[in-house]
Amino acid sequence: MAAAVWLAACDNNPHPPALQKTRPDGTPWVVRYQAIREDPRSFDPQYTYDQISRKVVEGVYDTLLEYHPMKTDPYELQPCMLAEMPVKAADGLSYEFRLKEGIKFHDDPCFPGGKGRELVAEDIQYVFQRIADPAVESPFQSTFEECLAGMAETHKAAKESKKLDYATQRVSGVEIIDRYRFRLRLTKQYPQILYWLAYQCTSPVAREAVAYYDGKNGREDFHKFASVGTGPYRIVSYVPRSLVVLERVPNYTTTVFPSDGFPADKAERLKPMAGKALPFIDEIQLSIHHENIPRFVLLRQGYLDLMGVDKDSFNAMVSPMRTLSPEFQNRGMILEPAFEISTFWISFNMDDPVIGKNLKLRQALAYATDSKRYAEIFYAGVAPVATQLLPSGIFGHDRERPRRYPFDLEKGKQMLAEAGYPGGRDKDGKQLELTLTGQGAGSEERQRMEFDQNCFEQLGIKVKANPVTFARLQDIEDRGDFQICTTTGWGADYPDPENYFMLFYSKNVSPVGKNYFRFRHAEYDRLFEKMVVTENGPERLEMTRNLQQILDDECPMIPTFHKAQYLSVQPWAPLTHNNLMYEVDGGHKYLVTDTVMRERLQREWNHPVLWPLFVLGGCIVAGVGAFIRGVRRSKNQTV
Amino acid sequence: MLNYLIRRLLYAVPILLGVIFLTFLLFRVVNTPEHAAINALGPKSSVAAREEWIENNGRNLPLYRQLATHVKQLGTFDFQPSTVTKRPMGETFLAGVGPSLCVTLPGFILGLWLALVFSLYQVFVRHSAADRTITLFCVAMMSVPTMVYIIFGQAVVALGLGWFPVSGFHSGLDGVRFLVLPVCIMAIAGLGYDARMFRAVFLEEIAQDYVRTAHAKGLPATRVLGRHVLKNGLIALITLTVGQLPKLIMGTLLIESFFGIPGIGNVMVLGIQTSDEPVVLACVFLGSLFYLAALILTDFLYAAADPRIRLS
Repeated sequence: MAAAVWLAACDNNPHPPALQKTRPDGTPWVVRYQAIREDPRSFDPQYTYDQISRKVVEGVYDTLLEYHPMKTDPYELQPCMLAEMPVKAADGLSYEFRLKEGIKFHDDPCFPGGKGRELVAEDIQYVFQRIADPAVESPFQSTFEECLAGMAETHKAAKESKKLDYATQRVSGVEIIDRYRFRLRLTKQYPQILYWLAYQCTSPVAREAVAYYDGKNGREDFHKFASVGTGPYRIVSYVPRSLVVLERVPNYTTTVFPSDGFPADKAERLKPMAGKALPFIDEIQLSIHHENIPRFVLLRQGYLDLMGVDKDSFNAMVSPMRTLSPEFQNRGMILEPAFEISTFWISFNMDDPVIGKNLKLRQALAYATDSKRYAEIFYAGVAPVATQLLPSGIFGHDRERPRRYPFDLEKGKQMLAEAGYPGGRDKDGKQLELTLTGQGAGSEERQRMEFDQNCFEQLGIKVKANPVTFARLQDIEDRGDFQICTTTGWGADYPDPENYFMLFYSKNVSPVGKNYFRFRHAEYDRLFEKMVVTENGPERLEMTRNLQQILDDECPMIPTFHKAQYLSVQPWAPLTHNNLMYEVDGGHKYLVTDTVMRERLQREWNHPVLWPLFVLGGCIVAGVGAFIRGVRRSKNQTV
Repeated sequence: MLNYLIRRLLYAVPILLGVIFLTFLLFRVVNTPEHAAINALGPKSSVAAREEWIENNGRNLPLYRQLATHVKQLGTFDFQPSTVTKRPMGETFLAGVGPSLCVTLPGFILGLWLALVFSLYQVFVRHSAADRTITLFCVAMMSVPTMVYIIFGQAVVALGLGWFPVSGFHSGLDGVRFLVLPVCIMAIAGLGYDARMFRAVFLEEIAQDYVRTAHAKGLPATRVLGRHVLKNGLIALITLTVGQLPKLIMGTLLIESFFGIPGIGNVMVLGIQTSDEPVVLACVFLGSLFYLAALILTDFLYAAADPRIRLS
């Protein structure tokens, strides 16, 4: 009986049945299977800011602009829900936009008759009202408060009246010109606002949906888990801690597959897709797995279409030559590097009386930092060593630029002597002692800190490590309560040099902004202010080079590495884009899956091995026999 | 008996207050308001936004006032929604109890049954080679951490043999195939300890006078052990097993996390990983409450099972 149940249960496919078997035209229904680490925090685009939620939300809510999926060096914007790129006014203080006509919200009970209505310019006013509404708790409010006219006033008025009246309290900087056209009026020149229009935080949500869903299920903010967007997918089910299922929206026509920008190695495969209707996949099942091991097992069984190679699976998947290991090569899998748009560094507190006032000392420490070895140890050599502040993909990144302070211990010692600490000791013979603060909650994080500590101590100085939690580190940086910080960096909000160089702008010194280096430099500020409002071109390129030069000369930080990881991709689901402004495994509408190949390979890779079942059964029978014999033998024993 | 119940309930109050106080210290004193704000708003949040969050969440109030509010909220089961997902705790808890019970209840019953069978068999064949072999196995099983059983189950049984899904949870009959592996692991992981414990209880029991009397009356060993020793031994086992009942509701952290079971254990792991204060506080509070309830229940069951015991 037990064996029968056991045998009946012999199916290791963990996925629930697809929503459909075939499309209306009789072709196979295409499902994509991916994993996410945590539950999405919300499906409300104005509220959510975390990566996991974005993976879901980006399929449901289209944006006004979007990143070209293949033009990534540098990244380029293109219209998504807009009919054309916005037109900037001569003074640079306003932009005019025109929406594509005929874009519809998803069909939903919130609309009369359940039919989604057309998107109009007034919906954009509603988006910015929601960002201003304190009840929505949008983390983007402070960003728009700094640049969009009327945002600060509307937010303040809503706070004072305890509730935003959407009929009367409008954001004055959003001007509706006609049914499809609107204008954004800025408080200062800020061309980077266009990047925020490619972020889901400015995706239109239907006011009908908010009115309909808020208050449902006993929750005032239930809209946070409803999803009525204009994107290629809609959420059909979400089981917390288990699964999110997205289904293709019929008649989605907002975007098509691009016709240019194909990378050379993929061009042959992608050209036939040019101009085709999106999306290619009918259903996306995002299963939630916190742990690495189950994800890796699912990938090996063919039940996940792709996975980021994590530390638990790295040795099994990647050979010492940084290629796919033979086992996975034989399966036809593909190893794709994914370079995140981020830079990590060791930062100096320029207000510190010891480190901040002694350039030679900072340079000595920079020479002692062996970032190449660091990347090899902690990122298996995948992460590129940083030679500059800007990561690749951002305008101004110089691929040929050498590292200003390459690892050179002797040079470091020489600089240290010039800094007034020959052999690591001051003129009184006292050993120099510095404090290194960094994330140290886990053993690996502590090892990273110890690596930097050892690098510096090779100069003959003493370095005291101060390991703290991630949250505490943020707090310490904001308050300037440190001498040297490590294990920190910056992931791009948008691919513009401003997003990195602003970290050293004197008006952004923490706690007001994110210049926790407390770097103040008049020439840098002047150049930065000019660079911010200049269009990409030779002039701006020169400015970014000069800004980098100042940072090199002043050395307020030591760039260490740009984060990168490998993606292991199944042979039936080759990537069609390499754009990391979508999430690492996002950009769903551009993805493809060969379901016939997947089914064939899944069958090949998942033959249940039944002989151990018979051995186990035999053992159980023998055990029961021994049990009965033992009982019989002892039946007449005296106890 | 009513007096006893009232007294036990009153004893439970300071224990619960102690738990509340300790968790409060952990989250409100060790974890400063600034850290809580960064956890909630993200590392790129502005200091102004963090200060607003601190004010809106009452984290700027004096600690005694925060503690009073905290005790009042927990005492009236007015749990705060998760700071991460904003989901109300009641909804999260109710959604999680079912999946947790799907694993823990059969795992507990199977484990208990196996431990009883093995321990009784060992008593039958005590001091024999079979007894020593089973003891050896039990000690070995006790020495292996649960994590090893999980990795073995996922790497060998799910991946290597392809018998079961490695992770996931479906409702309905189809869900059975997701449960077999975690249930077996839960049963086997505790088997070594339980079987050793039960064997010790039964061996102590068979040295009692009533057992000798039963044998003297000519009852066969199977009947003596299967009815008299088992029944009397169970009294001691109630203490051991009823204490585990809260675990059934609160789920198992590792097993649920690795097998993707959306139960309470999983909620708690995620709550800890994301520093989700309301979730962890509610889970710890409810866990202590269930544990205290189980202890009181143990006393009453003990009295019911053994007429010599009087609760007064």
